[in-house]
Amino acid sequence: MIQERVQVRYNTIECSGYYRMGLTCHSDYRRAKPGQFVMLRVVDGMNPLLRRPFSIHRLIRSSAGAVEGLEILYKVVGTGTERLADCRRGDGLNLLGPLGRPFSLPERPAQVFIAAGGIGVAPMYFLTETLQKKGFDISSCVVFIGGRSKDDLLCMNDFFAIGVKTVNITTDDGTAGEQDVVTGPIERAVKEGRPDVIYACGPLPMLRATARMARRYDIPCQISIETMMGCGIGACLGCAVSAAGGGDKYLHACVDGPVFNAADIDL
Amino acid sequence: MAFESEATPDLTTNIAGVLLDNPVMTASGTFGYGREYSQLVDLNRLGAIVVKGLSLAPAKGNPPPRIAETPCGMLNAIGLENVGFDVFVEKKLPYLKTLSTPTWVNIYGKTIEEYSTLARRVDGVEGIAGIELNISCPNVKVGGVAFGVDEEMAFEVVRAVRQQTGRPLMVKLSPNVTDITRIAQSAVDAGADALSLINTITGMAIDIHRRRSKIANITGGLSGPAIKPVALRMVWQVAQMSSVPVVGIGGIATAEDALEFLIAGAAAVQIGTANFVDPGCAVRVVDGIRKYMIDHGIGRLTELIGTLET
Ligand SMILES: Cc1cc2nc3c(=O)[nH]c(=O)nc-3n(C[C@H](O)[C@H](O)[C@H](O)COP(=O)(O)OP(=O)(O)OC[C@H]3O[C@@H](n4cnc5c(N)ncnc54)[C@H](O)[C@@H]3O)c2cc1C
Ligand SMILES: Cc1cc2nc3c(=O)[nH]c(=O)nc-3n(C[C@H](O)[C@H](O)[C@H](O)COP(=O)(O)O)c2cc1C
Ligand code: FES
Repeated sequence: MIQERVQVRYNTIECSGYYRMGLTCHSDYRRAKPGQFVMLRVVDGMNPLLRRPFSIHRLIRSSAGAVEGLEILYKVVGTGTERLADCRRGDGLNLLGPLGRPFSLPERPAQVFIAAGGIGVAPMYFLTETLQKKGFDISSCVVFIGGRSKDDLLCMNDFFAIGVKTVNITTDDGTAGEQDVVTGPIERAVKEGRPDVIYACGPLPMLRATARMARRYDIPCQISIETMMGCGIGACLGCAVSAAGGGDKYLHACVDGPVFNAADIDL
Repeated sequence: MAFESEATPDLTTNIAGVLLDNPVMTASGTFGYGREYSQLVDLNRLGAIVVKGLSLAPAKGNPPPRIAETPCGMLNAIGLENVGFDVFVEKKLPYLKTLSTPTWVNIYGKTIEEYSTLARRVDGVEGIAGIELNISCPNVKVGGVAFGVDEEMAFEVVRAVRQQTGRPLMVKLSPNVTDITRIAQSAVDAGADALSLINTITGMAIDIHRRRSKIANITGGLSGPAIKPVALRMVWQVAQMSSVPVVGIGGIATAEDALEFLIAGAAAVQIGTANFVDPGCAVRVVDGIRKYMIDHGIGRLTELIGTLET
């Protein structure tokens, strides 16, 4: 966990409302794992006050393989992300990370389904890339990308580029791929061949549907969730998440998550 | 000699009989149990650590969402989630004891009996420098009215705790009152060794699209730079009438902010919300205070406290 002043390496528009920002970072990020996040101060001043959480989209490496930076993929939704979108190359920002519990990877070769809704694709590229680096057969991995509309579908080509053979597309409005929610094609694919694990990130309704479906078919399912976060390090207790079955304790998204076994939490 | 004192100004300050190396403490609920920040901050450079508010039994806290951002501030309704005093002593305190920085426990209860029992328990534990008594919580026996908004209830709870413990006792005041000096007087009369203020200011924020409060509890406590002018005014008022040291809290994020509180009469300060924004904040504030003292030829912090020209 490092707090540091970093520089914007690039900040490019991906498609309408979505940006890709490269940041310099400490070389210790080589130990960062997919599903982990960073807390970024979007201004030096006090408004907006709190840091904003973003998943690590991927690590930027030198040709020799050393970690030289990290990339976040973000959607402009309010003041903080608007400020970020205004950043230019060379601007300084304050970065805290890497934080949180990552996805846990399968121990042996496995059939992996990856489900991403909208900006939920952000941690999934790092996950896929890591699976590939660890020697998993990426060509058998199936990626499901869903979005409200054609313009909310991100990273399709990036997945193909690292060797994923099947990227399934759905949109709510039918402007690309099938007009369906992302769980539609996942369930059909599950019926054809049960995967060993489903990784999912996206809006709450999508996570709920995915988790429910995974439970029905008894498939391990890991989901990355979003909550409001004050500190990102377990100090403010602002990021409470209900544990499955209630219980006498809340979990905390920044330290117990943001990745949870779907069965462990009450979505 | 003047040269020597300018080079190394004396930042020590005495709060309720506890000598702090410097006047910068971390505020309860914003610094966990200390260890959360250990990778980011040299904890030994802090004046003191005040841990998350503890109750007798573990407390689950409020349902989410618990926090919302507001202009230059935030609202929280964590609901005082904590591991409970016993788990604190067993699991959290051993680490804090390895530090040279004194640990203050912040305690609360829902009844006077709970407060007293907890105070008695603290009294028997090594490694706790002092008690900060959070009296901003509702008294369940009196229809949920906060202890800290009523002079008599404040007096009673502080006296009950005082009777159970010989430890340095700092009473943390709620700003949600008409005249904070009257509650301050009750706390001092009941035996407080120091006063800390302010706790959060009750506030609200509404999501207009959903027509719901942004936090599940509907109301929450406002903190951060937005509350600094109010906190400063209250600290100044209380410092003028109080016979015990006052610790200033509320929106402090820079050394300049802290200096304002010291000049207004605070013998020390606490940093809360700013820890979330910049974990290194407290240490930076210590360095900034030292630099200010050198620049202004102030040898001892005590020469600065309460020097507001009026
Ligand atoms: C672990 C984690 C990882 C995340 N990763 C990414 C990512 O990779 N890319 C990305 O674009 N976004 C990500 N988010 C969401 C992102 O943090 C918020 O969109 C961002 O903080 C909004 O800031 P803002 O100032 O632009 O919006 P605000 O003006 O603060 O809010 C606009 C809207 O966004 C909602 N919002 C605010 N903060 C959060 C939050 N922390 N989580 C969820 N919703 C929020 C508000 O309720 C409001 O409806 C992640 C969130 C978490 C918790
Ligand atoms: C998330 C959060 C949790 C808090 N928890 C406690 C607590 O458990 N006990 C307490 O006495 N004060 C608690 N406080 C109040 C702070 O200690 C402090 O009095 C207040 O936030 C004002 O200071 P600030 O503006 O520097 O944050 C909490 C504040 C925040 C923001
Ligand atoms: S964000 Fe502060 S505890 Fe999780």
